[in-house]
Amino acid sequence: MQYHILIKWRNTINLYLIEYAINAMLRQKYKNFFIFMILTFLTFLLTSVFFITNSIRFELDSTVNALPQIIVQKVKAGKGYDIEVARVDKILEISGVSDAIARVWGYYYFENAGVNFSIVGIAQYENQYKNSFAKVTEKFDFEQLKENSSMVVGCGVMQVMRNSYYKEYFNFIKPDGTLKKVTIGGIFDADTNLESNDMILMPEELVREIFDFDPLKATDIVVKVANPKEIQIVASKIKLMFADTRIITTNDLKVSYQNIFDYKSGIFLALFIVSIFTFFIIIYDKSSGLSSEEKKEIGILKAVGWKVDDVLKEKFYESFIISFFSYSLGVGLSLGFVYLLNAPILRDIFVGYSQLKTDFELPFVFDMQTLFLVFFLSVPIYIAATLIPSWRVATLEADEVIR
Amino acid sequence: MSKIIELKEITKIYEVGKHERIQALENVNLKIDEGEVIILKGVSGSGKSTILSLIAALSKPTSGEVLVEEKKISKLPDNFASIYRRDNIGFIFQKYNLIPNLSVKENILLPLIPLNLNGSKVDEKIQSVMKRFHIAHKQNTIVRNLSGGEQQRVAIARANVNNPKIILADEPTANLDEKLSLHFIDMMHELHSQKKTIIIATHDPLFFGLDFVSREIEIHNGKIVS
Ligand SMILES: Nc1ncnc2c1ncn2[C@@H]1O[C@H](COP(=O)(O)OP(=O)(O)OP(=O)(O)O)[C@@H](O)[C@H]1O
Ligand SMILES: [Mg+2]
Repeated sequence: MQYHILIKWRNTINLYLIEYAINAMLRQKYKNFFIFMILTFLTFLLTSVFFITNSIRFELDSTVNALPQIIVQKVKAGKGYDIEVARVDKILEISGVSDAIARVWGYYYFENAGVNFSIVGIAQYENQYKNSFAKVTEKFDFEQLKENSSMVVGCGVMQVMRNSYYKEYFNFIKPDGTLKKVTIGGIFDADTNLESNDMILMPEELVREIFDFDPLKATDIVVKVANPKEIQIVASKIKLMFADTRIITTNDLKVSYQNIFDYKSGIFLALFIVSIFTFFIIIYDKSSGLSSEEKKEIGILKAVGWKVDDVLKEKFYESFIISFFSYSLGVGLSLGFVYLLNAPILRDIFVGYSQLKTDFELPFVFDMQTLFLVFFLSVPIYIAATLIPSWRVATLEADEVIR
Repeated sequence: MSKIIELKEITKIYEVGKHERIQALENVNLKIDEGEVIILKGVSGSGKSTILSLIAALSKPTSGEVLVEEKKISKLPDNFASIYRRDNIGFIFQKYNLIPNLSVKENILLPLIPLNLNGSKVDEKIQSVMKRFHIAHKQNTIVRNLSGGEQQRVAIARANVNNPKIILADEPTANLDEKLSLHFIDMMHELHSQKKTIIIATHDPLFFGLDFVSREIEIHNGKIVS
């Protein structure tokens, strides 16, 4: 039975034809090598762009999903002001609200390095509005940290501080110009790199001290809603309750994140178009016709008894081998470039943010769709571009072609 | 002897551009028996190559019919014409029509490739035909580097590798000196002794009056004159 299948396979796959195709490729090795290189490079570029886009989209999605459902800010003359902590209790009375947490946080500009740190206050025994923070409070006791005047920093922050020779502590400059020395009590692993590489977690009291915060006020209030469908309703109820607030919901945030990203993807689109363009130049060059030698060869093959489909099969093998190998090599190189090397140069086009964030790693998102898309954009198109002109010549009267 | 090839009222007109038409053959009738050796002679442009090309089904007549073993090969669809050539015709072209950057062996293999035979059979056929036509010692040489006589022997070997019934040769000695031309005639003689039907288009006087040639047919202006 197996032998039978083997024979059948041998009958459908003509090894002589494949050998001839390989031979034919080698006979034009410079031209084919050039095409191979270009195809590989284009596949590489295209796949890399898709891989990076997917990774960033994944990263942004998880960032957005980790964002609070509702943020309540107090505004006056269009600017944000500290909000009364007492409002938390009022908000908790609204039906549908499962939790409301006052956040104390702010940006600290570190002049030496020219970067912003996000300093977030943590109260050990209160609910945390983020899972990653809850994890940090399991690992570090913020009551303890408060007594030692310590903080927990993200890896990126640690790096920046070290570069400025702050290894064990950091001196924050308070609004009144005096210094506050805070020791580095630990490093936390961020949920997503993109989001929190610039983050410092501190006992809430320390944050209040560094930013000179009113003890009865907070930066904003984060509200959790049990049923995500009720977010808008709860948001409008809060607005009704406190006319002087601005309510930001997950949706609003998603849109603004998406906007940052879409702006970036415009640049990709440009890249994408350039590579497609180059590809079509190749296609154009191929389909604009065969050289007289190539034509004559087809004529000779037909004269010695090859059918049109024999000729086309041979051309198919030839173009398939070139395009498939360059596709595979391009995808392989791109996997290494994006996920092992973290896409140097290309990544910078996508991720502008703060200097701190350039350190983040692209999460591996294996996406068959990308591979299929690039495959269909390259392999069949190249094969068709090879077959069509050959077919035109092969169907002419052999006599005219070889004369 | 039985008839193998018949040309019936063949006319061939080439359309060159939009308005110019060249009449290459006009009302040609010809019957050839199996095993015959035919010399087609005539000045340049008289239509010799056109006749060979029609018999090989490399082109189609404008009107009339070409019959080979009673089959109308002038009406064959392209793919069937290829199969017909593969199984019946060995064509030795004027310029040999070898693929210059392939080796001797690879050129001789060409007609066998679509057959997808098993490896030992293919080797056997190629080796035997290379020996018969004295080119085996150059089997791995790239054809471009061969002399004219050697290239022709490759062409003859390739024309015979499928063991065809009909051998067509177009100006076979045009590029050869006298010694090589006589050698070519020897090889045709050998093929004749194997009962092959042979048609040679030539104006080389060396071919005139050979004892194994059955007929000399003269073409003039696309018509048979004798
Ligand atoms: N593909 C073609 N297109 C246009 N005209 C052609 C074509 N093939 C042949 N002819 C013309 O047909 C006529 C006969 O040509 P053919 O090649 O049969 O002559 P021939 O007897 O073989 O000549 P030669 O001795 O030079 O080979 C010539 O006038 C030639 O120019
Ligand atoms: Mg001729």
